[in-house]
Amino acid sequence: MAKLVLSSGGTMLRQCLVDKEVVAIGSDPDNALVVDDPVVDARHASVVPVGNDHILEDLQSGSGTLVNGTKISRHILQHGDVIQLGSFYLRYLNPRAAAEDLERTMLISGLPGLDTARSPGSSDISRVRSARRTNVHLPSGQVRAIAGRRAGQTIALDRVIATFGRPGEQVAVITRRPGGYFITHVEGRRRPRVNGQPIGTEARALEHRDRIEVADEALEFLLD
Amino acid sequence: MPHRFIEIAALTDAGSVRQFNEDCIEADPELGIAVLADGMGGHRAGEVASRMATRIVFDRLRHRAAGLRSDIAGHAPLQALHESINQANQAVFEASQARPDYRGMGTTLAVTLFYDHRVALGHIGDSRVYRLRDGVLELMTRDDSLLRDEVDAGLISAADAGESHNRSLVTRALGIEQAVRAHLVEDETRPGDVYLLCSDGLNDLVDDADIELIVGGLQANLPLAANHLIQTAKDNGGYDNVSVILAKVEPSVPGARRLPWPLRWLDWLR
Repeated sequence: MAKLVLSSGGTMLRQCLVDKEVVAIGSDPDNALVVDDPVVDARHASVVPVGNDHILEDLQSGSGTLVNGTKISRHILQHGDVIQLGSFYLRYLNPRAAAEDLERTMLISGLPGLDTARSPGSSDISRVRSARRTNVHLPSGQVRAIAGRRAGQTIALDRVIATFGRPGEQVAVITRRPGGYFITHVEGRRRPRVNGQPIGTEARALEHRDRIEVADEALEFLLD
Repeated sequence: MPHRFIEIAALTDAGSVRQFNEDCIEADPELGIAVLADGMGGHRAGEVASRMATRIVFDRLRHRAAGLRSDIAGHAPLQALHESINQANQAVFEASQARPDYRGMGTTLAVTLFYDHRVALGHIGDSRVYRLRDGVLELMTRDDSLLRDEVDAGLISAADAGESHNRSLVTRALGIEQAVRAHLVEDETRPGDVYLLCSDGLNDLVDDADIELIVGGLQANLPLAANHLIQTAKDNGGYDNVSVILAKVEPSVPGARRLPWPLRWLDWLR
């Protein structure tokens, strides 16, 4: 279960459990969480539970609602978030969410009133960016084209993969991973060369200043 | 008429954190069938549910695909999906009723059946089907998930979805109730199209833009593309089991010898 801890001037004032009920926040005494500050509106904000989330919503308050220093209108609360209302602070604590205890697939009822019956044809697809934020540290590198159609150019290796060569003839892929950059043969009878040696079937780790030859291109790999 | 030649690469991995793999995949390029399931339930019952569902849907479709004939093609493939999914649902549901340790088990499902110049798609839950066409990745399914509902209802923005803790909450699953309604749809295939079936262990950790880049850049080597998708999910944390099936519609129909024998035989009759 999550909770909101209200404090002011470094003193903890009270805490309020957040579970399945909406928590109303404001200066009016009938709020579940009363924040008695002159700049806090009678009905200032609310915390709405949806599934495993608690969504903080600013109710178009005069002085606004800040989360970790940023003004928000709606925000999915994260363990440790600090909500600022006037001179008061509300800390959101949800150890369960923090423990990544929510990975297992579970069944839940959908939101009512949504037309989920419509066919999933490609026409009505809006993209949901559901890939979670990852805090993976990736290396930074680039290749400098020495020979070939891009000679003289520098190509940043800032995406998960970059392909080189000629489709149908000879293609190699350089993969960016937490442990470094790797080169792998993709297609073609001839294999790409690194420092003059053809690479094998497995991915080969790239070292700073390795020289790569693929199709008509010669490249120098540079690790920043 | 037989389907265009389909090349398939399928791969599943427990991920970097979990000990067990509750995903299950099965594919037959000759018959143009791909099935993927992501099980749920305690005490490894999820594994039972996903295996059972995959096996039944796959076997039923294999049986039906061998018998599908051009003159009944019309809605027969969708009908075949519908029947096979119902059968799997019933079996998983009955098993869950029969054993206490299986109680409440269920599974997501994504299935494709290629035929003629078309593909029949079916899905339940948050396993997805994407299509890469002319370098552009498109999502062909709508997740049965709370997160998707929230975005559609305007409760949260698509950009904020990554901050949600609701990623694993599905609103529909196979085997949970006596009957299940699957989402079924047909799509016209074009030579060069690549279809991707995946469990949420992929799209939860890898952005659509990166999926597009990997599938687009490595489509000449489908097994390598599948491998890179899984590797990227694991590099990004690999919190969940991750499975992918890539099905590429070959640019040209090779000789009839590529066809499974019942279809070869029908071809010869024509």
